[in-house]
Amino acid sequence: MNAVQSKKMHKQHKWTPISIIGLLILCLFAVICVAPFIYMLIMSFTQSTTLMIHWKDVNFGDFSNFQYVLQKSGFVRALLNSVIVVGCSCFFNCIIASMAAYGFEKKNFPGKEAIFRVYLLTLMIPGQVTMIPVFIMMNKMNLLNTYFALIVLIINAFGVFLIRQFMESVPNELLEAAQVDGCPEYRIFIQIVIPLIKPVLISLVVFTFVTSWNDFLWPLVSTSNSDMYTLTVALSLLKTQYQTNYGLILAGATVSFIFPFLMYVFLQKQFVEGIALSGIKG
Amino acid sequence: MKRKTREAVQGIVYILPSFILILCFCVIPIFMSGYFSFTNYNVMTPPEFCGLDNYKKLFTDSYVTSATKNTLIYVIVTVPIQTILSLAFAAFLANKMSKMKSGGFLRSVMFIPVIASAVTAGTIWRIIYNADGGLLNKLLGIFHIAPVNWLGDTKTALISICIVAIWKNVGYFLVIYYAGIMGISRDLYESAKVDGATSMQQFTKITIPMLKPITYLVVTLGIIWSFQVFDLSYLMTGGGPGKSTVTLVMGIYNSAFKQYRMGYACAQAMFLLVIIVVINVIEDKFFKEKKEA
Repeated sequence: MNAVQSKKMHKQHKWTPISIIGLLILCLFAVICVAPFIYMLIMSFTQSTTLMIHWKDVNFGDFSNFQYVLQKSGFVRALLNSVIVVGCSCFFNCIIASMAAYGFEKKNFPGKEAIFRVYLLTLMIPGQVTMIPVFIMMNKMNLLNTYFALIVLIINAFGVFLIRQFMESVPNELLEAAQVDGCPEYRIFIQIVIPLIKPVLISLVVFTFVTSWNDFLWPLVSTSNSDMYTLTVALSLLKTQYQTNYGLILAGATVSFIFPFLMYVFLQKQFVEGIALSGIKG
Repeated sequence: MKRKTREAVQGIVYILPSFILILCFCVIPIFMSGYFSFTNYNVMTPPEFCGLDNYKKLFTDSYVTSATKNTLIYVIVTVPIQTILSLAFAAFLANKMSKMKSGGFLRSVMFIPVIASAVTAGTIWRIIYNADGGLLNKLLGIFHIAPVNWLGDTKTALISICIVAIWKNVGYFLVIYYAGIMGISRDLYESAKVDGATSMQQFTKITIPMLKPITYLVVTLGIIWSFQVFDLSYLMTGGGPGKSTVTLVMGIYNSAFKQYRMGYACAQAMFLLVIIVVINVIEDKFFKEKKEA
């Protein structure tokens, strides 16, 4: 039915001159979207300090910029830190948020909706407002320069809100039936609820991945030990250290880009659907 | 009765981890921020109450006034443009190219800037914008346009940053809009067509009203994110030239972590919070009124 309908629609959309102009604008924008990354990649293989691509300077067999960035500038460590922080953020955010969403949606306890309203209000609070007291607290507790500090701030109420919307679709009858059958509570949650909310968990993983991989201000503030730098911090320092060594800086940018890019290439559908779902449910 | 208590206990146990985190790292810090904003506090010595001094300072500090002005300009430029562009592109892709492989390809390509961090984007664009022989000036040179000192001129620096922000955000909102448009029942369009509506009428009378909740989300997220702009201007200009690209968050960062004036930084943070809340309330009203109309 749907296919027939869309075929009919398809026929009705003739390519008028206006829509061709639209298509051209769209294509132009698409080119602008990728061109900087192609430029970055090509330039990271040059040794020259000029800004234009001179093909005679480009040597795709020469990885010296990458070698330098990875070995001398601590990018290996930063990459590892970023992967640890992003991985843990995604994992803990999913667990903690789905537990809370399940509690809010499927359990009754006094003050539930009031607490949930507070959760919603916190979504409006920009991170910079809470950053300073959190910094001071963590400083007092010697928690700066730890993975804990980098991870814990990623976890917020958004995940709870997102999953709760989705949790409505988990049938109560199913949970009650499991209860009647004597299934222990934690197994209901792990074996019934979690598999049912998998699509929204993927959405949350993507969302958390993008936010924590891009996170810059908090890692910049909370890490002073170069062993704890994340990739964004390492890259920003590379820029200040090697002002005009563009090949080197762009090699750093390439390293910081390649990991999320590969993730995106392999999990493209999940990325796009994840963001779309967070938009519709969120 | 016993069952009810057990259920309540279970519910509390389930929300407890997130409750503790949100309480400790969001709710309590807001009140601490509020308190610090009335004090002089340099971390070394305990906070000293100073009344409204920090807030008075806010309105005379030229750094903060520039930052407020720049941030507002940044929001006013980026939010409408990225919203309109992403809606227009999404509508075009959904209506003309939803069954074509190339449509999916274009969408994927436009999403690429989203996955790059602002730091990566800022690093690349700073080099592209370079005044002496940067890629952009070379390209403009082909059309005989004189080179512009994009990031070095007070007139163009902020706009240059806005362009990068729009470039980075369109793909994200496009994906949200696209899913929204695909979710609109095709029957609506079919019956509109039977009634002889042009595709422009269909867009303004069906697509836009049906997408209102999504537009609300896109605008709200856009505003909240834009007010927090820091990475791009830190990376690309460092706030310069002069104070032409300093932002509110950069002010907070500098006061707190360069000058260790935590109290003053908290006052700036509260100021940012008030602006965001006020704008959100206005926006809520705007969207609600339109619903009733």
